[in-house]
Amino acid sequence: MADLGRMIASKQVSPVEVVSAHLDRISALDSKLRAFITVCADAALESARAAEADLMAGRPVGPLHGVPWAPKDLYSTKGVRTTGGSKILADSVPAADATVVVRLARAGAILLGKLNMHEFAYGPEGINAHYGDTRNPWSADAHRIAGGSSSGSGAAVAAGLAPGSLGSDTGGSIRIPASLCGITGLKPTYGRASRAGVLPLAWSMDHVGPMTRSARDCALMLGAIAGYDPADPTTSVLPVPDYAAALTGEVKGLRVGLLRAHFTDVAAPDVRAAVEAAATQLERAGAVVDEVNLTQITHVGTASAAIVASEALAYHAAWMRSRPQDYQPDVRERLRMGAFVSGAHYVRSQQVRALAAREVDEVLARRDVLLAPATPLAAPVLGERETTLGDGPSDVRTALLRCTRPFNFSGHPACAAPCGFTVSGLPIGLQVVGRPFDEATVLRVVDAYQRITDWHTRRPVAA
Amino acid sequence: MLARMEISVELLKRTAALGGFDWSDAELEPIRPAVARLLEALERLEQLPLGDVEPTTQYRVI
Repeated sequence: MADLGRMIASKQVSPVEVVSAHLDRISALDSKLRAFITVCADAALESARAAEADLMAGRPVGPLHGVPWAPKDLYSTKGVRTTGGSKILADSVPAADATVVVRLARAGAILLGKLNMHEFAYGPEGINAHYGDTRNPWSADAHRIAGGSSSGSGAAVAAGLAPGSLGSDTGGSIRIPASLCGITGLKPTYGRASRAGVLPLAWSMDHVGPMTRSARDCALMLGAIAGYDPADPTTSVLPVPDYAAALTGEVKGLRVGLLRAHFTDVAAPDVRAAVEAAATQLERAGAVVDEVNLTQITHVGTASAAIVASEALAYHAAWMRSRPQDYQPDVRERLRMGAFVSGAHYVRSQQVRALAAREVDEVLARRDVLLAPATPLAAPVLGERETTLGDGPSDVRTALLRCTRPFNFSGHPACAAPCGFTVSGLPIGLQVVGRPFDEATVLRVVDAYQRITDWHTRRPVAA
Repeated sequence: MLARMEISVELLKRTAALGGFDWSDAELEPIRPAVARLLEALERLEQLPLGDVEPTTQYRVI
């Protein structure tokens, strides 16, 4: 996105050429990938022509002027249906844009369409009974999942159907598809970017953030969307730093903790080796790396599940009474679980959350960032239900959420980025976790890593 | 505690009804084992020393 923005601003390419090229790729590839739910071809071309006219007239333009993008289909878009990947909202057309959509438009970005997702964002696989299962572009025969819930975002960015996207992340829904599709995805600190106008899954766990091909592009998008929003009372009034300026390429002296138990040590052997190699590369670049464990981690899965199930059912209760048949089966079953979590269970889980967040703070008091796998396994085959990790058998869903969910629970910023490939050619994702509201250091570490490796520049066969 | 009771479909049905959900045996039986596991796990949280820990519903908002 940064490169496209520069090329457009310097008139090397026109917004119309860029948007047309992406629409052509969508036409050529999306019947196989199923990344888009809605394509706004005419509106995108009209916006591109207006952007071109602004440029030729010498009017001031934003940093993303003429650059196309596409959000997960749970961001409200004025006049463009916002389905949440559901049948229930199939014909829902918002009257206003989500705050972050407005902010990207002000920066000059052009909406290409809306991206597929796990129904109502309630699943890490990225499957969808209503709009088709998004396929992983790295899987030559299209039989592997893209990961979810922001599955269309992961596949579209990886395959070059859109240079950037906004996903949402309640248990890993930005970082899981980023990991499985070989792109860079940032879950900012809770409160850094507005959730106003974004369909909720679980209010206290939901985060919105960019999904792009590099840390540099994530910095650009985050800079455009971050900051206080009176429409979202949980947003912070802290100033938004210049994230792009923080990308110095320098990690000398930075203290990096490699998360061992529960994270790196239980990952599939090729994932573990790739993450350990990334730690070694950062060490060679001057970072000071040590190993660390989180002791409260064993309770995070239970407490997170209780919180998400409760909040999700609260949001969906009316539809679960009147239209249960319109949910896809796995989502309906997960929503039903919320009916059996008591108020006392919910509060107890929030107490566990306070303990876990405190522990992550304490670990980060002595370190700048933490490293872990983004997912402990590469993209599973569609329909695969069981896998085996270093500590035994696990259902695929739990395995996918394992390394990401703790930082939704704690609220810390975390970024997934490619750090290698399995022997069968599937991307492996690294996760970098930082201090609250210190996305700048997280992005700085990922960017520095991307300057000394080329994993993020590789493209799938399908693209 | 609920988790120490046998988690039957009938119990789930009555509990769901308290929340206004009219779900059938056929709809509840598939999730019964998962509910039992979740309740057992939640019961284990009771053993943690959480007495003086303030619950948080949101991360630090500044």
